[in-house]
Amino acid sequence: MGIDAAQQVGTKGEARARVPPALRLPRGVARYGYVYLFMLPAVLLLLGLTVWPLLRTFWLSVQDVNLVRPGSEFVGLANFREQLGDRTLFWPAAWHSLVWTVGSVAGEYLLGLGAAVLLNQPLRGRGLVRMLVLIPWTVPIVIAAMTWRWILQPEFGIGNVLLVRAGLLAEPVYWLGDLSTALGTTIFVNVWRSFPFFAITLLAALQAVPKELLEAAAIDGANPWQRFWKITLPHLKGVSLALIVLHVVWTFNNVEFIWLLTEGGPLHASETLATLVYRLAFRTFEISEAASLSVMMIAVLLGVGAGYLALGRRRRG
Amino acid sequence: MTIATGPWYRRWPLLLAYACVAVLLLYALFPVVWMVTTAFKPTPEIRTADPTFVPSRITLEHFGLVLGQSNFLVYVRNSLLVATTVTAATLIVSTLAGYAFSRFGHLRGITLAGAGLVLGQLVPGVLLVVPLYITMNNLGLLDNLWSLILTYTTFSVPLSTLMLKGFFDQVPTEVEEAAQLDGCPPSQVVWRIVLPLAVPGLLTTALYAFVQSWNEFLFGYTFISQDDRRTMTPGLADFIGLWTVDWGALMAAASLAVLPVTLAYLYLQRYLISGIATGATKG
Repeated sequence: MGIDAAQQVGTKGEARARVPPALRLPRGVARYGYVYLFMLPAVLLLLGLTVWPLLRTFWLSVQDVNLVRPGSEFVGLANFREQLGDRTLFWPAAWHSLVWTVGSVAGEYLLGLGAAVLLNQPLRGRGLVRMLVLIPWTVPIVIAAMTWRWILQPEFGIGNVLLVRAGLLAEPVYWLGDLSTALGTTIFVNVWRSFPFFAITLLAALQAVPKELLEAAAIDGANPWQRFWKITLPHLKGVSLALIVLHVVWTFNNVEFIWLLTEGGPLHASETLATLVYRLAFRTFEISEAASLSVMMIAVLLGVGAGYLALGRRRRG
Repeated sequence: MTIATGPWYRRWPLLLAYACVAVLLLYALFPVVWMVTTAFKPTPEIRTADPTFVPSRITLEHFGLVLGQSNFLVYVRNSLLVATTVTAATLIVSTLAGYAFSRFGHLRGITLAGAGLVLGQLVPGVLLVVPLYITMNNLGLLDNLWSLILTYTTFSVPLSTLMLKGFFDQVPTEVEEAAQLDGCPPSQVVWRIVLPLAVPGLLTTALYAFVQSWNEFLFGYTFISQDDRRTMTPGLADFIGLWTVDWGALMAAASLAVLPVTLAYLYLQRYLISGIATGATKG
């Protein structure tokens, strides 16, 4: 810490000036010690309840542990091999994870972009609409799930009633309970819930597009379509990428929504890797299997993160 | 925008835009409106193959059932306990850390801790639920609200710290210097001068921590199985199993549960939207 002080007095004089004089202790031992004390609670919480559990997950994944019986034994990569060879649960869940994630994020992005473009137009009452549109995102997931289950209910749900009355359906469909529609329906509900976040964020980005560029292009004879594709969209790239990556991670890991709508059913038709981890741990108490699955999910997430960083570097370079 | 004036057939893009806005609002709000409508409908009008949008009469029987004959209020009380404790704890921890981060960010140890916080923010819940369950089991905190308080605080601290750092950054150090020149003792400077200036930041952080904790489902569902100790969101999920056919009661419970969040949101929406917007344009 003595070196820090010397550096600051010398070349980094401004750094020293930033420290409020009220808190500059007299020179001596532990000059900045108390600052680290400020950070301590946060760091302790993080280490204890995030880092340590993650380490434990890694440890568990190479053991054979079950919550019902005591003890554990080291089994190396057996858990991983078992998962990768599981045709009935693992691979279908992996496929569902892919469909669930890509379908949800694509739907949210497209709908959000459309809504953002719409709200960017000079319409009356824009502020109010913007506020109302955000409501699906603020509703707690439990309540959204309950409400949609009611709407999609085969006997009395208003969704089926309206579709049959409009002639689009011959008879009510058990959307959440049918093998072929369960996953798609959960994606639909997820899009409803999350598209407002995309809409609001993209709207802000749209409003940041420099107007002079658009006006210049209009003067040069570009029509609205061309202006949108060539000028507006490229300006949205950075925000879009961040949004999409964040939501891919969030959607991939999401257990709540699917669990509350279908519990991964019927017969695992909407089971994703995330719900499978939860099911293995808390329904069949196979902790080690759940842990090995978690480690594989971490690997996927790290891959996504690395991909994002690489993309960022290429854009800047 | 010359399209706003002139003959109506020229204005069709604008009319189309308004029509699209109407459809958008319908899509976004219909489920919520339908939920509230159902909550006030008498049961025969709910369990019918021919429902209407407007009930013939308004009834409060479902609300009576939820408030009087279920554990709904118990769940709300538990959620309130957890949420307020988490908010207080998050404020204390994040204010300290955020201040250190803001004023002393040039120290290597601090930047390292900060990077750790950002990474910690990215760890998803489902990966933590299994090992944390074991930890809470070992600590004997299962079926205890403290397991949730500790967990939720850990989840809201990283983002809160970053938010508060941003707010503290906007309080210039000259203010602290001036206060000291005016004779304010050093120990009082942070408390009397800096914190009052950062009140919007503290409010936003408090509301964020509260809403996060109120809405959380997975850990509440997993850590606590005793009905008396359940928080609201897992409690509601239990209702779905308990009252499989009583949709009126379910919707009444849902309507009640949505209320505090909506009120909080209506207050927060200015900060929320500008916060998301600033994040977007910076990102």
